[in-house]
Amino acid sequence: MNARRIRAVIGKETREILRDPITLGVALLMPLVMLFLFGYAISLDLRRASLGVLDEDHSPASRALIEHFSANESFHLSRSLGSVREIEQVLQRGQVDLVLVVPAGLNDSLLRREQPQVQVVVDGTYSTTALLAAGYAEALVASFGTKPSRATLRLETRVWYNPSLRSVNYIVPGLYAVILLAFPPLLTALGVVREKETGTIQCIFASPLTSSEFIFGKLVPYSLIALLQMLIVVSFGYFWFGVPFQGSFLFLLAAGLVYVLCTVGIGLLVSTLTRTQLTAMLLALIVTLMPSFLFSGLLFPIFTMPALLQLYAAIFPGVYFVEISRGIVLKGTGIDMVWFQVAVLALYTLAVFILASRRLKKKVA
Amino acid sequence: MAPQDHEDRIIKAQGLGRRFGRHEALAGIDLQVGRGEIFGILGPDGAGKTTLMQLLAAILDPTAGQCRVLGFDTLRESSQVTDRIGYMSQGFTLYDRLSVEENLAFSARIRGVSDADYRQRRQRLLQMAGLQDAVNREARVLSGGMRKKLSLCTNLIHEPELLLLDELSLGVDPVSRQELWKMLRTFRDSGMTIVLTTPYMDEAQACDRLAFLYRGRLLAVDSPAALKDRARGRVYEVVTARLEEVQEILAASPEVISGQWLADRYRFQIDNAQGISGSLRMKLEYLGAPSPAMPDLENAFVQLTAQPADRLATTVSLRSAATPAAPATAIAATDISVRFGDFSAVNQVSFRIAAGEVVGWLGPNGAGKTTLIRVLCGLQRPSAGEARIAGLPLASSSTQIKARIGYMSQRFSLYPDLSVIENLRFFAGMYGLSGQHRRDAIRWVKPLVGIDGLDGNRTQALSGALRQRLALACAIMHRPSVLFLDEPTSGVDPLARRRFWQLIQRLARSGMAILVTTHYLEEACYCHRLGLMHNSRLVALGTLAELRSALQPSDPGASVEAVFMAYITRPSAAAGVVG
Repeated sequence: MNARRIRAVIGKETREILRDPITLGVALLMPLVMLFLFGYAISLDLRRASLGVLDEDHSPASRALIEHFSANESFHLSRSLGSVREIEQVLQRGQVDLVLVVPAGLNDSLLRREQPQVQVVVDGTYSTTALLAAGYAEALVASFGTKPSRATLRLETRVWYNPSLRSVNYIVPGLYAVILLAFPPLLTALGVVREKETGTIQCIFASPLTSSEFIFGKLVPYSLIALLQMLIVVSFGYFWFGVPFQGSFLFLLAAGLVYVLCTVGIGLLVSTLTRTQLTAMLLALIVTLMPSFLFSGLLFPIFTMPALLQLYAAIFPGVYFVEISRGIVLKGTGIDMVWFQVAVLALYTLAVFILASRRLKKKVA
Repeated sequence: MAPQDHEDRIIKAQGLGRRFGRHEALAGIDLQVGRGEIFGILGPDGAGKTTLMQLLAAILDPTAGQCRVLGFDTLRESSQVTDRIGYMSQGFTLYDRLSVEENLAFSARIRGVSDADYRQRRQRLLQMAGLQDAVNREARVLSGGMRKKLSLCTNLIHEPELLLLDELSLGVDPVSRQELWKMLRTFRDSGMTIVLTTPYMDEAQACDRLAFLYRGRLLAVDSPAALKDRARGRVYEVVTARLEEVQEILAASPEVISGQWLADRYRFQIDNAQGISGSLRMKLEYLGAPSPAMPDLENAFVQLTAQPADRLATTVSLRSAATPAAPATAIAATDISVRFGDFSAVNQVSFRIAAGEVVGWLGPNGAGKTTLIRVLCGLQRPSAGEARIAGLPLASSSTQIKARIGYMSQRFSLYPDLSVIENLRFFAGMYGLSGQHRRDAIRWVKPLVGIDGLDGNRTQALSGALRQRLALACAIMHRPSVLFLDEPTSGVDPLARRRFWQLIQRLARSGMAILVTTHYLEEACYCHRLGLMHNSRLVALGTLAELRSALQPSDPGASVEAVFMAYITRPSAAAGVVG
C-alpha cells in the first residue's frame, strides 16, 4: 500500500463528489427525507380513536363515564348512538373505531355498590390498534368509579427506557441503522461502477495502483459522507423528534463508524459484481434496503420470526446495529452489553473488504 | 524498422488468443514490435482490436498463447507490465469533474512521478497539446479534440516506454488529429514505442508498420508502402459519366473482386496481377478506357479479405427503385440559423441540393452538421430562415415532409432483439405502409440492399455490415425523395463500405437526393459535391476539384484532408465557393 497513491485517489474522489452538487445533495437530503417520512408515518401509538357511545342509562353516572372517556386524549367522541342496531352500522362503515355501551341501570347499581358491567365493542380490522384501544378502554373503566378495595392485589406497571411508550422513541434509533444501510452502499457502488461505464477504470487497471489502494481510496471519502449522514439523522432524531439520548454519544459514533465502514464495504462489493450503474443500483437496493426494513428488527421483532428467517436476518448487518443504536439511545448501554454486536460488525466489515479486494482484479474480464 | 535483435523487442506475442465463452475474439496472433516504432493495428469494428490492446496492456488474460511486453509475461507478471506502460482505452477516459490540471496530477501521482518531474513535464505536455490556457477548466467542458489530447497527456506524464492507444482519433476532428500525431512523433523520436488501433486508412498510412486485423486474426504485418505494393497492378479505374453501366459490367465479371463507385469515376480491383482480361477490357472500352491506378491501403485490405460472396452487389432493376415524381430541387435552404440562447449552432446557411445528387457534409465536431440535419428532418425548428424539402415548405408541412425523407442514424437505430423481418415491418408501419403496400415495400427492398434470406435472424446477431444494410433498408422502404445518412459507415470494414456506397450511388441514380455526414475524409471521393461546415457556418460547397482550385495556392492533387484543413484554418472562414 503506497500512501501517496492512496492520497491521490482520495483527493480525486473527494473533488469529484464535491463538484457534483446534485449527488451530494441527494446523499445528504435523502436520509433526512427518509427519517421524516418514517419517523412520522410509522407510529404505533393510539391517538384520537373515534368513539361512539350508546347511553341507555342517561344518568349522572353514565354521563361521568362518557366524560371520563372523552377527556382522555386517546379517544375522541365522534357520535352518540340511539339503538343497538346502530352499533353495527357505524362500525361497518368505519365511522367509529370503537363503541362504548352503557346499559340501563348503571347509576343504580353503582349506588347499590354492586359490580355493574359496561361493554366496549372494537373494530378489529387493524388488530394492533384494536388491541391498544381495547386495552386503553379497559384501563379507563378500571380507573372509574369504585376505589379498589384494600384486600385485592394491586398491579403497578412501570415501563422502563421508554416510559411514555412513544413509538417514535424506538422507531427513530432503528431508522439510524436502516438509513445507514440504505444510502452509503448505493452511493459507493455507483461511484465505482461509473468508472467502469466511462472506461476510466481501465486506465486505473493499466497503472501501478493496486486494487486494495483503489478500494481504500474510494472507501475514505464515502465513509466520511456516511458518517456525515449519521450525524445528520442522529441530531434530527434528538432535536426534532425529541428522542432521548441516554448513552454515550462518543460510543454511538465509534460503533457507527464500524457500521458505516461495513455498509460502504457492501457497496464496494456490489460494485465488483456489476458492470452498469443500473444493475449496481438494483443489486444494492436488494441487498440493503429490502432486508433492512423487514429483517432488522426495526418494525417487527426478530425473535418472533420462524427460526429460518431469524438466521436469514442475521446475515445482514442492520440487525446488529439496530440493537446497538436502540441500546445506546434508549437504555444508555455501554460496550459491556453490546460487545457481541460490535464484534460481529467488525468481523463483517473485514470479511466484506477481503471479498471486495479479491473480486476487484485489475482485469477487464 | 523491423526489430533487429532480442533486446529491442518491446512486444513479442506468440499464438496469442482470447475467447469469451464460445466466442473466439482473437486467435493465433504472432506479433513483434520493436523499440521506437509507431505500430498501427488496422481493422473494422469487431475485428478484435480492443481485445488485443487489453491483452498487450496486461489487463486481460489470454486464453491461448503467450505475450511478453517490455520483457515481462503479461499473464504471470502483469503488474510489472502495468507499472511501465501508458494505456489509453477507447472513448474519453477522463474524470469529467476534475480540471485539466487535476486530471494530469492524478495520473502522475498514481504512477509515482516525482513533484519535480511533474512540474517540468506538465509544462511541456500542456504546451504541446495547446492546453495551457485551459488548465483550470473541467474536463467535461472541453471539446472532443481537447479531451483526447488531455487523455494522451495523462498517459505520457510518466514517460512510459510503451504507449498503447485504443482508437486514438475516434470522435476527433482533423485539426486535433494532426496535433495528436505531432505529439506522437515527438515522443517516438525520443525512443518511445507506440502501438495504436484505428479504423481509418489514412491514419494507418502514417504508421511505421501496420497489422491488418480481421475477424480476430492477423492478415498481414508490414510497412504501409509494402502493403500497398501487394495490390500493385490489380487496381484500375474508368472515367465516364455512365457509371451505372460500368457497375453492371463489373458485377458480371468474375475477375473483379471489389469496386468503388466514385463521384466521377469507377475504381475497381481484380483478383490477379496479370492485368484485366481482354474480354473485360473490350466491354468497358466503349464507356471509357480502363487505366491502371495507384493502389491504396484499402486495396491491400480488400485483396486479403475478399471472398467470392463479397463481390459487387448484383444489379437490381433500377426502374423499380425509381422514386415517384422527384422534383428537380430536392433541398433548398435559405439563411437557416439555429440559436440556443447565446450560442449559435447554425449560422445563415444557404444551399441547394438537386435530385439525384450525393452531397457529403464534413466538419469538425460541434460545427453544426447534426443540428442542420435535424432542422431539415423537421426535428428542430430553425430560429431564422426557411427550407423547402422536395418542394414543400418546411415550416408549414412537416408531416408531409416526414413521409418524403428517410433518415439513417449513426448507431443504426434498429431494435436489436427483433428479427430482421420484424424490424422491417415495424419501420414500414412507422412510415404508414400497411397491408399490400408493406409487403411490396419489403419485397422490393430486401434484394436491393442484399438482405435476402435473413428474415428470422435476430438483428443483434448480424455483422456490422448487415446491420448497416438493414438500417438503410428501413430508411428507404417508403421511397423518400431525400435521404439523410449520419455517419453511415462508421466502423464497417472496407469491403462492406464499398458495397454500401454502390447502393447509395444506385439510389441516387434513381433520383433520390442524398446528404451524408462522415468522418472518413476519404469517402468524400464518393460524393458529387462537398459541403464544409466550421463554427456553425457553411464555409465551402462544391465539387472536390472546385474546392481544390479555390485554394491559395491551388493544388490539384491535394488530399481531402489537406483541402479541409486549408478551409477551416483560413483566418476568416467566410463563404468559399458556395454553389
